[in-house]
Order: sequence, then C-alpha cells, then structure tokens
Amino acid sequence: MKIGIGKFGAIIACTVGLALSSTSNAQVKVGVIQGLSGPPAIVDFGESYLQGVKLALKDYQASGGKTKIELIVYDDEANPQRAVSLAQRLIQNDKVAAIIGTVSSGNVMAMAPIIQKAGVPLMAGPSIATGITKKFINENPSYIFRCSMVEQFQIDQMLDWGVKNFKRIGLVHSTTGYGNFAAKEIIEGLKTRGVTLVAIEAAAPGVNDLTPQMIKLKDADAQLVLNFHESFELPFRPMPRIGYKPVVAGNWGLSSQKVIEIVGKEAIEGTVMGQALDITTPKAQAFDAKAKKEFGSAYRWPVVAALGYDAGQIVFAAVDKVGKSDPAAIRNALENIDGIQAVSATPAKPFSSTDHECLDKEHVFLGVWKNGVITRLN
Amino acid sequence: MTVANLVQIISSGLAMGSIYILVALGLYITHLTVHKVNFGQGDFLMVATFVMLATRSAGLPLLACVVVTLVILALMGWLLDLIAIQPLERKKSLKIGAFSWILTTAGIALILQNVIELGFGKTAHYSPPLFSTGRDHIVQVFGAGLFFEEILVILAAAIIVLGFYLFMFRTRWGRSIQAVAFNPETAKLLGVNTSLVKTGVFVIASMLAAVGGILLGPLIAINPHIGLVLTIKALIVAAIGGFANPVGILVGGILFGVFEALSNYFDSSFGDLYPLLAALIIVAVWPSGLFSERQADVR
Amino acid sequence: MSGEKSSLGSQKNNKFKYIFALIFILVFPWLTVNEFFIFVAQTFCYTAIAVIGLNLLLGLSGQMSLGQAGFYALGAYGSALTSLHFGWPLILSIIFGTLVAAVGGLVVGTYALRTRGLYLAMTTLAFGYVIDILAQRWVDLTGGTMGLIGISQFEGFGPISGAVMLLYVAGLSLLCAQVISDYINETRIGRGLRAIRESEVFAASVGIQTQVWKTLIFGFSAALAGLGGALFVHQSGYVGSDAFTVRLSIALLIAVVIGGLGSRSGPIIGTLILLGIVELIAGVHKYGLIIYGSILLVVLLAFPKGASGILESALGLIRRKEPLVPDSFLDITSEDIELALSGLEQHSTSITLQQVSKSYSGVKAVDKISIDIKKGQVHGLIGPNGAGKSTVINMIAGIYVPDNGRVLIGDKDMSGLGVAKRAQSGLVRTFQNLQLIEGVSVLDNVLLGVQSKRGEFKCFANWLMGQPTEIPEKKRALSILRFLKIAHLANRLPSELPYGHRKLLELARAIAQGPRILLLDEPVAGMNSQEAKEIASVITRLRERGVTILLVEHNMEFVMSVCDQISVLNFGQLIAQGTPTVIQSNPDVIAAYFGTGKEA
Repeated sequence: MKIGIGKFGAIIACTVGLALSSTSNAQVKVGVIQGLSGPPAIVDFGESYLQGVKLALKDYQASGGKTKIELIVYDDEANPQRAVSLAQRLIQNDKVAAIIGTVSSGNVMAMAPIIQKAGVPLMAGPSIATGITKKFINENPSYIFRCSMVEQFQIDQMLDWGVKNFKRIGLVHSTTGYGNFAAKEIIEGLKTRGVTLVAIEAAAPGVNDLTPQMIKLKDADAQLVLNFHESFELPFRPMPRIGYKPVVAGNWGLSSQKVIEIVGKEAIEGTVMGQALDITTPKAQAFDAKAKKEFGSAYRWPVVAALGYDAGQIVFAAVDKVGKSDPAAIRNALENIDGIQAVSATPAKPFSSTDHECLDKEHVFLGVWKNGVITRLN
Repeated sequence: MTVANLVQIISSGLAMGSIYILVALGLYITHLTVHKVNFGQGDFLMVATFVMLATRSAGLPLLACVVVTLVILALMGWLLDLIAIQPLERKKSLKIGAFSWILTTAGIALILQNVIELGFGKTAHYSPPLFSTGRDHIVQVFGAGLFFEEILVILAAAIIVLGFYLFMFRTRWGRSIQAVAFNPETAKLLGVNTSLVKTGVFVIASMLAAVGGILLGPLIAINPHIGLVLTIKALIVAAIGGFANPVGILVGGILFGVFEALSNYFDSSFGDLYPLLAALIIVAVWPSGLFSERQADVR
Repeated sequence: MSGEKSSLGSQKNNKFKYIFALIFILVFPWLTVNEFFIFVAQTFCYTAIAVIGLNLLLGLSGQMSLGQAGFYALGAYGSALTSLHFGWPLILSIIFGTLVAAVGGLVVGTYALRTRGLYLAMTTLAFGYVIDILAQRWVDLTGGTMGLIGISQFEGFGPISGAVMLLYVAGLSLLCAQVISDYINETRIGRGLRAIRESEVFAASVGIQTQVWKTLIFGFSAALAGLGGALFVHQSGYVGSDAFTVRLSIALLIAVVIGGLGSRSGPIIGTLILLGIVELIAGVHKYGLIIYGSILLVVLLAFPKGASGILESALGLIRRKEPLVPDSFLDITSEDIELALSGLEQHSTSITLQQVSKSYSGVKAVDKISIDIKKGQVHGLIGPNGAGKSTVINMIAGIYVPDNGRVLIGDKDMSGLGVAKRAQSGLVRTFQNLQLIEGVSVLDNVLLGVQSKRGEFKCFANWLMGQPTEIPEKKRALSILRFLKIAHLANRLPSELPYGHRKLLELARAIAQGPRILLLDEPVAGMNSQEAKEIASVITRLRERGVTILLVEHNMEFVMSVCDQISVLNFGQLIAQGTPTVIQSNPDVIAAYFGTGKEA
C-alpha cells in the first residue's frame, strides 16, 4: 500500500500529538480490572466492588478533588490470561498510574508480578487469598496493596467461635482452588485447636444440588456446618426435605442480599459469616443509602461494595496528593496515607511499610443474620 | 445408606434424567428426519427457564407463562431452521463439508447466551416453583422427603414422553415424519409436505426444550451458561439410545440420571465425571448405541 | 509444452515467502512501540499454531473436533508441570507437553475411528469438557482455578529479553507449522486427506488406509494444539484451569472458519482477525458472545471460503487460470501410451467366487453364486435391475462381507482383507455413482491413484528447495489423461466437467492405480455409441496387458462386443454363463429381461 508523503506526515503528527496530550494537564488514569462476566459467583463480587469504586470516584469529584482522574475499566472474564493481558495493556498502552482489581485470587497472583515489576501500584480486591500482599511485602518497595477481606482472618475468627460453641463440626466446600485451599486452612486450623471435623464434603463449583452432601452431613450429625462453596445458598436448599437444620457459618459470601432472597429470612436466621462492615454505623448507613440511590436493585452486597468504595477513596486520595501521573510517588502516598474515613472497618491509616492490608486481624469480625439484617455476633 | 437416602437420591436422579430425556428426544427427532441436531438445544432450554422466570415474576398466571414460553421457543425453533439449517442445505459448499450446521447452531447458542446475559445479568437466578408458593413443599415417600416439584417433573416428563410416542407412532403427522426420515423423495411422492416436516421437527424439538426448561427452572439455580452441559449430556443420552430409538433414549436417560445422582453421592468432587466417562465408553464399544442396528456406510 | 508445464507445477514455486517471514520474526521486536505488542505477537504465534492444527484436521480430513482446548490443556500442563516440579529446561518441557498432547490426540483419534460426523463432534465436545473438569478439580495436580504460578519463563541474554526469546521460539515454531501445513496441502498427503473427507470408501479403494491416516492427522493436530498450550504457559509463567473451557475450542474454530476452512493462509488470517476482535471488544465485552456467534453465522452462510477466499477473489488470483492449451498438447505418442499403461502388472491373476451368498434384512440379494474368471479375461456381469450385480462387485471389492462362500483372487482367499488392503494388492474398481473428489483438480484425482515410490522426506526436501514435486507421477497421470483424450482438462475441477468426461476421469484414476484386476461398475452408462466404442478399445488395450476385468453393464452392444465370457444374474441367482453368442440365444436370459409373454 503506497501512502503518500502527505498522509504519512499527518499520521506522524497525530501520533505525536496524542502522545503529548496523554501526559499533559494533571489527568491521571487509574485502571480497573474486574471479573464482570463468567461464573455468577465471580460476577457478583466484581460488579459490587466496582459499584463501590465508581461511587468513590463520584464522591471524589463532588468533594472537589484537584487532580482529574479517569477510570479505565476492563473485564478479565474470570480468565487469568485475560487479566495478565489487560494488565499489560493498562500499563503499556493506557499508561495508568495505578490499578485496582480483581476478583479471582488466581488472576491477581498471575498479574501481580508483572505489575510489581512495572512499578505501578496495585490495589487488589475483592480477592481474598491470604498471601496476596505477604508475597510481595519484602520487595523493596512493594507495589502490591489490598483492600478486601483476608481469608485467614475470617477463618480464624470463625474457628475460634465454632470450637467454643459446638462439639460436632462439618465442612462443605467446592473443588476449586479457592474451596480446596480454604478447606486445607480450616482442617489445619482445627487441628491446632484440637478438633477434627465429623464430615468433609466436596462439591463441584457448577453443581446444582447439594442434597447428597447434606445427607452425609446430617448422618454425621454435624451441628455446625462450615460452608465454603461458591454458590453460597446451595447448602440451604436441601435442608427442608431432609429435615436438617444445623447452624451454618461461612465466609463473607453469605452476606450477599441475594443469599437471603433465595434462602428466605427464616432459613438464613442465625447464619454466621466473616464481616468487615457494620451496617449499623452512621457512615455505613449513609453509604448504604447513597448506593441504593445510585444503583437501585443492582446494589446487593454492602460489604463488598463498601470495601470497593474504601479502595477507591484511598487510591484517589493518594493520586490527588501526588497531583500527577507518577506511579512511584503514588505508591509512597498510598503507603503513608492517613485520615481515611472508611465505610468498612478499615482504619484511618490502613498501611505501613510492613502491612499492605486494609483490614487486619482485629478489623475482621463475625456477623450474623438476625431478622433479615446482618448484625455483629457477640 | 438408608432406604430414605436411597429414595432421595433415586428421585433426584429420575428428575434430572427426565429432563435429559426431554432434551434428547428433541435431538432425536431432528436427527431422524434431517440428520442434523441443534447444538444449542441446552441453550434453548436455558432461554425457556428465563422466559418462565420473567413471566412468573411479572405476576402472570401459570398457564399464561407456560403458553408464552412454548410459543417463544417454537418461534425460535422455526427461526433456527430458517437461519442455521436451510441455507446450508441449499449451499452444500464443499469447502465446509457436511457438518457446518454444527457451527451455525453453536453460533446461535452463543448469541442466545449473550442476549440473556444482557437481559438478566450474569448472576444466578432462582425461578419460582410451579405449584407451590414456598420452597418447602415436601412430600414424604418411603420415609424420604421429596420436593413436590421434583415428583412433578418426573410425572410431567413421563406423560410427555408417552404423548410423544403416541404422536410419533399413532398419528398421521408422526407417520409423515417417519416417512420423511426413511426417504424424503418417496415421502414427497406420497404427498407428504416434506419441507413442512423438516421445519416442523425443529419446532417440536424446541418445544420439548421448552418443557424441559419449564420443569427444570424451579429446581436449580439458573444462569445464562447452563446450556452447554445440558447439551452435552442430552447428546450423550441420545447417543446411548442410538439416536434412532426412543425407547433407548428413555432407558438411557433414566440410567444416566440415576447413575449421576449415585456417583455424586459417593464421590462428591468428581461425581458428575463418571457418568460422562461411562457413556463415552459405551459409545465407543457400541458406536450405534445400545439399542439400534449398525448401519453400514455404503453408497 | 506450456500446458504440461503448468500442470506439472513448474511455475514459480518460490519459497521466498518463508525467508521473508523468518526475517520479519527476527526483526519484529525492534520495530515495536512497546512491550505490549511483543506480548500480543506471542499470543498470535501460539494461537495460530493451534489453529493450523485444527485447519488440517477439520479442513482437510473433515473430522470435526469441538474439544481442541483439551489437547491445548494437555500440552500446557505437561510443559508446566515438568518445568515447575522437575526443573526441566524449557525447550524440553515444551517438547514434552507437545508429546503428551500428541498421545492424547492419538488416543482420541483411535476412539474417533468408531464414530464419525455427529458422534465425533459430540465425543470431542465431551472430551474437552472432561479435561476441563479434571483441570479444575484435580487441584493437587493443576492448582485448579487458582492455578500454578512461578512457572519458569525464557531468560534473555544480551539485548534480547526473555519475552523476545519466547517470541522467537513461538514464531519459529509457527513458521515450521505453516511450512508443514503448506507441504501437506500441496502434495500427496493433502490429496489423500481430502479424499478421506469426501468419501472414505473411495479413499480405501485407492489403497489409502483411512484408519491410520485419520488417527495420525488427529494426533498431529492435537500435537500442534499442545504446542500452542505449552508456549502459552510460559508466556506469563502462570496457568489456571479457566483458560481451557469450551470457549477456547470455539474460539479456535471461529479462527479457522473466518480464515477460510481448508485454505493455506486461512489460519494466519483467521487468527489475526480473531485476536483483533478480542482486543477490539475488550471495552465492549458485554456483546462478546453475540459478536462471536454472529461471525460464525455470517461467515458460514455468506462467505464459506472465509477471509482468504475473499482475499483471493479481491486480488484476482483465481487459482485455476489455465493457459491456452496448444493442440500439440493433446497428441498422443506411443511413448505416452507406454507410460500410461506402464503401471500395469504383467502378472495376471484370476477371480473366483465360490458359492457366495449375501442377504440384507431377510432379503437374499445374492444366492450361492459361483463364477470363475480366468486371468486376462474380460468377463461381463449382466441382469435386470436388482439382480444383485452391484452386490457382487462390492463383495469382491471388500465393502460387503459374504454371508457364505469365499472370494478368491488367484488362489488367495480374500476373507478378512479390507478394502484398502485389496486395493494395495492390485484390485481396482470404479463406482456406479462416480466417486470423484470434487475438492481437488482432475489431475489430482488421477494422482490419487498413483502410488508414489519416493520417500516422503526426500520429497519434502525437494519441495522446500522450490523444485516441482512428483514429476514422474504427474507425467504418468498426464499421459493417462492424454490416452483418454481429456488431458486439456487437467487443471479443472471435476464439477466443471460434463458427465461423459467425469466417467473418463474415473477410468483414468482406475488405470493410474496399475490394476491387476479391474472391476468396472457400469463404465459406459450414459454414453453414446461412439464414446462407448472408444471405451471398448481402451478395455481391449488393458486386456492385452493382462489385466483381468469384470464389468457390470446394461449396454448389450457394448457387453457383447468386448466380453470373453458373460454371467447372467436374476433375483440373486446365476441363471446362465457362457460366451456372448451362447448367452444371446439363451431362453432363460431372454425371459429374465423380457418376460415369458405369459404374464401379460
């Protein structure tokens, strides 16, 4: 194809112009990678977290943040290859100054090394795998932060409470990496507390019915059932027909509005889960109302959205402090950020050079469904 | 394992098996007449579950919901034939070979998944039960508590399968279909409207998928991507029956469903793998299914 | 003669495009704007390798696989696990992964022999699904959805970074795959595969062991998919089971279809388009599946030849543009005839049927027939429609197995020998309904009959050097075409020929096989008396060479003129046998054809 000199020159000019424009005027791009399609469990997390981030941006702009921030959102389709590819794209092509995301811990672990190497701060979430920030914390400096629940913390709390209150404990988990990993942590955690599970049941992630598993748990007479299956509502469904009503405890997945809609208020009563959002606090109430107004019925998971919101606020505050697209400076700003008014249990100064987690052990607590609302478990 | 547990498991197996049979019969009838099947048959069922969800949530009476679902799916079957099957008959392009309909029907399946995603989101949904208000309608059978819906599924499927047989072997239309299946040219000479039959079978197949969806929806968590697994299982059930013998499909479906439920009970992590593997082995050893005669591929 | 030259393929067979591609791969990293492009290029390379494999499988041999992702996964995990747990050097791991996938392909391919068409699609779909489940749930081995991390990646040296190393490896592998694919497409193997796709019975009748070929191509395409998977794993040092769902199988199919099924450049173009779409819709992911589904529909319904077909038409490269053929091209010399008939063995042999019977569903098609055909004879088999003549031919050819009795060639009992084996020992047949391979040229159809004496590697080496291939074989094929006076059609497609010429083509192919025994099923049906006379003289020529011929015909003038002996069948039974004069006056024969006059 022969392009005339004139056209060629025009193309050069445009490219240069674009290149220049992307670095001029205090416009900072923040990339977001989330699981927005694929398995429903993933999508619930991804969409809720993103709602929080978007709300945080809105509030940031409303409260007069000086630096212009542009969000670039990509869907990693719950596919780690996509996540990696999108991370590359955000860093090399879109030239973002920070990245927020994603749902599957696997995806996060796949893209984190690349992001660390490129020297761009990553605010991981809502992924909960225990080791995400620990793996990089000794890098000098570490670019990996996280604003989300940490699996270890909620399991620890749950096991402490479970062992104290129940003699016979059973477990149902999914056969994904997440489910198996959680199962391992639980079995070991119980062993150090001197307890063995009376029954351990596994189920495929996509399965539609957990009747066989629940029958076996009933036969083993489990009083407390630890539920670590991605389809959180599934263990409840067969209970009426087999006449079995144990107490159920699980990770924060059990706090989704969807779960109570499906399971029903009576059946979910007394179910315990890891939590990081106390809905009764005024801040949480305000956030809840704002989110309902903004997203309507699409808003269905307060705790995940709240953490997304806090992740967003923290990142935007750091960006604003630095004032320009300087990833290294933003990283420092993140590590030292203070004065955060978090919706979730995140403290005002969430990070330090040895701790890149929004939520530490003491910020995670157990919640319980009481009368259709989640309250703190005492 | 107690009797009660066994009854539970078998009843779940029968219910799922009935669904597989309904879907497989749809595959059977199109394969019989035009030697093609809809590789999106499971996705058609998925659409039916969502149509039911939407109409029920809108508060329409049950009968209206069922009718709407059947009509929509029948229309889809007609469109499928029009878009994905007929044009290929005319073209017979050598480059693609004789099996491009697999890809065109698969293409439509993808589109359907996306459309439902756009309409309902990608999260899981639960469809309201057909005949009860809550989800706790339990019936005691041999000491086991069975969901009323499940019993309903088995009964409904049995009635429909019976009706299907009567249709195929006792009515004039059924015989026309068989005539076209046997030899289209001869059928045409005998006055059968072959093009109507060829389109009709796809409509019937889609309506069978619709019934499957109506019955299955309340039993499981539905999302836009449940179609593929159902298609695979229905294909396998149809294959066990040799694609040529409705009785074979009936038996195959029951065996498959019950085996699946039992293997899930004994090995909850890999349970659904075993019936698939067993079926693959069966098809390897008896390539024409357990119930039909081997036909030589001679010109 | 320019006509002959073009048929032999001595037009510019340049391999410069491969050298150019090699240079491009080497230089590419230095041309790019940023690392992301190198990443995309890597993705392009290993995806295209898998697509090439699928193109060979589906496009050439016609086997529909909906589970290529399974083989991709086998290659990926094979490579990942050996490099992660055993610390193998990368190249070794990648090769191992490819081998694992190849073995998987051979296993599935063997399984596939018992199934075809719909069943094959279904079982490959189930296979891919089973692998997906295993990858997802066998967490101890594969890490499940969370996957395995820290898998080694290529290390760079000097100015070449690790990423560029991977690009080179992937790019070179792609080049090799494309070269092999082109070779297969252009020569004997491709011809054979296309024959298998269109008619396995035909392929067997020209001596192709269809089972073996089908399994091998399955294994080869699986190996390519596995190679793609192995390279993929080392791109990010990470593998998780989410990558191996049916979506991947469908994406590969889309790439093949968009590019143009069975075409040579199709996979490259198709992968480019596929990746282009993937990147384009990254922002509009909501409509991703609609786009993929619509592409499948649009391409299959409106542009079956895919992008490469569109490209070809657009660039005006109509492949079979034949040059003006000089008249001298058609003149046949005695040398030609020698060459044409050179394949015929001098060792004549006989055919014997001993008390052969065959029934279908209770109807006795052939009832205790014994026929003795002496070597070098032309034997006719006649009878009214439905008498069982085709059944007899099919039993001699090996397509049907007799219920009773034996078929002997010479003094060897043929029971237990399949069609291909019988063809390989000199038993050649034509078909009543003409089994021509519509997807290849007239010349290629004849070439299908010719056995190559050359070793495959030497052939490949020659081809790579840019030399025209298969010259002796092509010369012989052309001489046969000249012998039958249809040489000017050498580069046309069979579908472009009138019926009479199609029949001659079938006969040409049969002669090319160098038969000891020739079974002709209605060789002059639909021909006028002049054409029939010419065929008769060809048959006489063949008999002079010692070929034993059994022919089924309805054209009495032809039969009587050319046959030494005739057998007459009616309702599956042998009612008369003898010389033409004897048969013509046999009252039973006349009754069989015209009735006894008593029924009216």
